[in-house]
Amino acid sequence: MQDLVNAVVEMMEDDALALAKKYLEAGADPLQVVEAYKDALKIIGQRFEQGTYFVPELILAGEMMNGASSLIKPYLSHEQGKGDGKIGRFLLGTVEGDIHDIGKGMAAMLMDINGFEVKDLGVDVSAKRFIEEAKKFQPHIIGLSGLLTLSYDSMKQVVQALNDAGMRDKVKVIIGGGQMDDHACQYVGADAWVIDAVAGVRYALEWMEK
Amino acid sequence: MMEGWENMSSSQRQDALLAKWVSGEGIEFADDQVKAAYQYRAGLIRDAATLKNTPERAPIVILGTFAPTMLYGCSAKKAMYDPEALGKVWVDFAKDYDADASGNPALVMNGPPLEVLDYNLYKWPGHGLKEEQGYQFLERPYMKAEDYDHFIADPTDYWFRVWLPRTHGALEGLGYLPPVYGTMELPAAGPWLATLGAPPVQAALKALMEAGAAAFDWIGKLLPYMGRILSSGYPMYAGGFAKAPFDVLGDSFRGTGELMMDLYRRPQKVLEAVERIVPLMVGLGSSMALANGNPLVFIPLHKGADGFMSNPQFEKFYWPTLRKVIVGLAEKGCVPLCFVEGAYNQRLEFLADLPTGECIFIFDRTDMAEARRVLGGKSCIGGGFPVSLIMTGTPKDVEEETKRLLDKAAGDGGYILSIGCAMDEAREDTLRAFIEAGKKYGKY
Repeated sequence: MQDLVNAVVEMMEDDALALAKKYLEAGADPLQVVEAYKDALKIIGQRFEQGTYFVPELILAGEMMNGASSLIKPYLSHEQGKGDGKIGRFLLGTVEGDIHDIGKGMAAMLMDINGFEVKDLGVDVSAKRFIEEAKKFQPHIIGLSGLLTLSYDSMKQVVQALNDAGMRDKVKVIIGGGQMDDHACQYVGADAWVIDAVAGVRYALEWMEK
Repeated sequence: MMEGWENMSSSQRQDALLAKWVSGEGIEFADDQVKAAYQYRAGLIRDAATLKNTPERAPIVILGTFAPTMLYGCSAKKAMYDPEALGKVWVDFAKDYDADASGNPALVMNGPPLEVLDYNLYKWPGHGLKEEQGYQFLERPYMKAEDYDHFIADPTDYWFRVWLPRTHGALEGLGYLPPVYGTMELPAAGPWLATLGAPPVQAALKALMEAGAAAFDWIGKLLPYMGRILSSGYPMYAGGFAKAPFDVLGDSFRGTGELMMDLYRRPQKVLEAVERIVPLMVGLGSSMALANGNPLVFIPLHKGADGFMSNPQFEKFYWPTLRKVIVGLAEKGCVPLCFVEGAYNQRLEFLADLPTGECIFIFDRTDMAEARRVLGGKSCIGGGFPVSLIMTGTPKDVEEETKRLLDKAAGDGGYILSIGCAMDEAREDTLRAFIEAGKKYGKY
């Protein structure tokens, strides 16, 4: 199915969907089609790393994946449809007081592509809710997103709440947004800061290897 | 129009309008000393912008939205609902902090007319946000993919009859209107006029009347304070507002996700749409600036930053029409002041391709040494100071960082000292330290 892999990688949305349909209708193993998409996403991920692919490709790849999922689903047995080996759990949300979600959405998508089980809490998420969800979801990494300088304090509150709940040493905390830097990171008490989603994935993968 | 205007180059027109702006013509200053102080401050900005003279020191400009009000304990909600409180704080902020230019408090906007219109593009304090929080943009795909042809054929008609009803709840009725063009001949005028009388359209028109009256009342109360900022000796750093065509389409019409996919799904439509937006933005920016007697046109840049797209995509979809807006504004004698949000480390070479000394770039996260290297002698640069240090650092940290920044970015002129962020909030001690350090170390 190299042709399918290539079509996805080269952002030929219509061709990719037509090929996937053709293979499935011809009786191909649906898991093999899933694999082809995964292979393609791996290459797309590499191109992100290399700086040849950016937001348009990331978003379109996500759309292609969504389209493919609904196409493949009816062909999968119940067992096959269940999630397979994820490399880690990633909890994220835009912190309290901030409703910006574009960067957060990209981080969620990119982390998913890179093998994380992602739970996105949405925007304007309070410290209390982060803690409640973290207790349930048991994330390896918590991503705090925010575009405004007001988000520094909200982020700091989440880290404080993690400390209070005795959970801080069990998770890595990464902050992301246009005004994040060393000063902000130190103030918040996070483990890392990023201003783009690709850099966030790099940290996440590094942490999971350890 | 000025004498000889027709035969002037862009640069000569800018010089003429800047000279008028720097003179303070039309402003009633308390005395000659205040007038001289105004001329000095505006002159620093003029000299930095045009690269023709080295100013005595780098001008200091603070970009802020709600920061001034918050520094004086005035909530964001009060700022948007009490124009007199807003105006007073902005006058105090200009005088107490004594930077070289003030923003225009009108950019804070006013809550009541937005409520009347059921304005959906933003949440604001008391209207979806807490009272202390500044307004936040609510990006959605208000324009659908199938709307491109209408937009391209006639952006204003689309704006009025499709986009306004979708983004302003109370203006839904405008969606029933036929195109205005029938008014040119009696036989075709009927449908237009009759539809104006239909109840949903009447409701929309009534909402516009009411919102307009509220906004008129607001600006009437705010104007004296704007006058006091100027008459206290502080010029304003923006007389007009415009945007990069790609950002217009991405921020307010298609939304980031949809527009980014459009680059693959319908690239030709995107190119045609952004091209159509160019004259709209030149017209918007220049008409505001000329009416205000201040040639500086503020242009916040969003979706062309590093990480958003590749250089080939930037070169194809973003830069050509932004460049046309910049050049088009300069041809009207305006001075575009681009606020380059995010980082532009991969894009500096593009920005270098402009006529010398006709545009200002204030940077946010761009490497300022690189900006100086690539753009020095070509365009005025500015900014680069991290807002995080204002919010979390000590005055000493701020002083040291300001000095470092000036060392690498100020060159022999053509630099505006600025924080790389339109601030929603600030801290008094660090902000004062920033401005004082600028005056101390920014001399040439």
